[in-house]
Amino acid sequence: MRVGVHAWGAVTAAGMGVPRLLQALADPSFAPRLELPRPDAPPLPVAVCADFDPKGVLPPLVARRLDRASRLLAVAAKEALQQAGSLPWPKEQVGVAMGTWNAGTSPLLEILQAVFTQGPEQAPPMHFPNSVANAPASQVGILETLGGANLTFFEKQAGGLRAIAEAWRLVARGRVAAMLAGGVDEAQWLNAEAFHRLGALARPGRPGFTLGEGAVALLLAPGGAVTLAGAGAASLPCPPHLYPPRPDALLLACQKALREAGLAPQEVELWVSLANGHPQLASLELQLLEALFPRHRPQVLAPLTTRLGEGAFASALRVGVAAAVLASQVLPAWPLPPHLETAGYEPARGAVRTALLAAQAGGGSAVALVLVRQQTA
Amino acid sequence: MVTGVGLVSALGENRHRTWERLSAGETGIRPLTLFPTAGYRSRTAAQVEEHRLDLTGIPSQALAHASRASRFALAAAREALEAAGLAPVNGADWAVVFGGGAAGLFEAEAFVAHRLARGPKAKGVVAFCEVPQDTPADRVALAWQLSGERITVTTACSSSTIAVGLGAELIRQGRAEVVLAGGADALCQLTFAGFNSLRAVDPQRARPFDRRRQGLSIGEGAAVLVLEREAAARKRGAKPLAVVLGYGVTNDAYHMTQPEPSGEPWARTLRAALADAGLSPEDVGYINAHGTATEQNDPAECAAYCKVFGNALARIPVSSVKGAIGHCLCAAGGMEAAITVLALTSGVLPPTVGCEELDPACPVDPIPGKAREKRVEVALSCSFAFGGNSAVLALGRAA
Repeated sequence: MRVGVHAWGAVTAAGMGVPRLLQALADPSFAPRLELPRPDAPPLPVAVCADFDPKGVLPPLVARRLDRASRLLAVAAKEALQQAGSLPWPKEQVGVAMGTWNAGTSPLLEILQAVFTQGPEQAPPMHFPNSVANAPASQVGILETLGGANLTFFEKQAGGLRAIAEAWRLVARGRVAAMLAGGVDEAQWLNAEAFHRLGALARPGRPGFTLGEGAVALLLAPGGAVTLAGAGAASLPCPPHLYPPRPDALLLACQKALREAGLAPQEVELWVSLANGHPQLASLELQLLEALFPRHRPQVLAPLTTRLGEGAFASALRVGVAAAVLASQVLPAWPLPPHLETAGYEPARGAVRTALLAAQAGGGSAVALVLVRQQTA
Repeated sequence: MVTGVGLVSALGENRHRTWERLSAGETGIRPLTLFPTAGYRSRTAAQVEEHRLDLTGIPSQALAHASRASRFALAAAREALEAAGLAPVNGADWAVVFGGGAAGLFEAEAFVAHRLARGPKAKGVVAFCEVPQDTPADRVALAWQLSGERITVTTACSSSTIAVGLGAELIRQGRAEVVLAGGADALCQLTFAGFNSLRAVDPQRARPFDRRRQGLSIGEGAAVLVLEREAAARKRGAKPLAVVLGYGVTNDAYHMTQPEPSGEPWARTLRAALADAGLSPEDVGYINAHGTATEQNDPAECAAYCKVFGNALARIPVSSVKGAIGHCLCAAGGMEAAITVLALTSGVLPPTVGCEELDPACPVDPIPGKAREKRVEVALSCSFAFGGNSAVLALGRAA
């Protein structure tokens, strides 16, 4: 069964909604606000959704009981569902699959802060339900009364892509009629500070990645102009906080995805860069491309993560933007990063029919996905 | 097909010890010693005796900096592989599918306390590396150099139930030759404080289905099930333990923490699992219940069973092991699936420890006291979680 992207919603550092995102992608000089406040220390450079305000989208009482990650996802999900119009399936056959890297951290910290500074009896009960990582997906299920499978995948940077791949399989195998799939992360100071202190984040004079926040929700259902044609995953074991030393897992995941899609590597017209500013990931990407495309250079969709921030949501965002490029809704104007430019790759410049994208998680797990624009009759 | 089971619980550091004590009607719920409990409604939990874990042969790279949760996972995986008679020789098609829980949060809480008290230069930030919920799966893959798919699903208390279901799907879809499925979770101050703040814990110990119940007892532990394609397992002469016949996953779409009281959403999950397995309600011989012992869960769950099984429920024993091993949160479903496999293989059904006066609102046969000898062909293992994430596994006795 062909399963495609029928609608999507997004909240990113570019603003609320897909139109704001596409506008930012068309602007080569776009730069989001990189500033996350934290207690007792200077702000950290995290790509935040600075103008995010759920007012007008979520009822005030609903917004108040949700944590930030759930609010971000609820707004993205509403956009996707509104774009799709009235759903032709019973809502109990529509599910949710989300990837996340840090959902639940803010409520968790609220509880621990109360316990450590005021005593156990002061733990605020209202925060506890949102301290689970599945809270955003579950809250969306409750708000939109979606009774199908409700799954949250935790695979660090690859979580969003994993969620979309597994959601695709659930729909394709008829376990559900449709899925809202994507990813969500919040900008959370303790989390960002830990990455900063562990040396993973970019800072003046030292390369690294920029954390971000956002939510992406794609409505996957049978049919559609842009379909998911194949998915693959593999891993190369390494300690949980490190990238693997070689691109073996990425390569195998891409090969599996292409095999399932029935495509040869030379039929890939668009590669969606997974670079995030971290030099090791850039090196892995370059080695992967050399191994996967020895005689062929696909066009490259410039990395979104270097500007909009890294996270599980970011790997889902790449799927949404790639689908928009395939549907000729946008032609991003962002430049390629040096490692790709130096190697002779060129940015996406026109209509493409096939796209390959992948994500590499710390700890060694990798996921890949193939998108195909269906020929119109 | 399930060919190996590893289990770490407060009752024992392996499946034999856990099963022996569970069958005898013992409980692992006792005063918690892992962190101070002064000021809490409950001071008990089902805490694992960590020093008893058998981690022999696990490479130091996988153990270095591993959290309690990861060590539970490593011990359970080691036991499961040994039981299956498997040593990975080519891990390319070996997948790890786990339910994600608190992972290294217990260890990181010390850093959080320091950070809040002493500012941004507080020591111990390295503990944050083990906070991501997929680190137990990462550590298991690292220990045995498994390079197949690695999935961590997190749906609160149904996480590892779904992991077993997804793991079986990976085998069916040809995405893996062998899957290590299950999960691990460890006690931490967050979950202890959180459930206490909700007043969802029993000050003494959990008594599922009992009319005097006052809530759950939090627990910790791990379970790993080795899943293989039946033909491959038989070809290498493995002794099959059970078969994953199917699973159902739905969402109540009702409330983050409250069950829908009529039980209808959970009945839908049960029906989905039966349909996926190609079973009718009459085929089911035993139900391993979620049975948290909270005021609202148990009657809603029994209402769901009544809706699906009707009069047949009178002949289906329904037990909850949470009075013995506690509510192990994200590991609970995997541990209960492991216990259900042991019930199928042994022909002995585990009791509901702590249930002495059955609540009339819970009209089930809870197997009070001690285990009961009864050979069954098909059993269900049920999990109904925060956020309305419900999952039911249908397991069959291996032929």
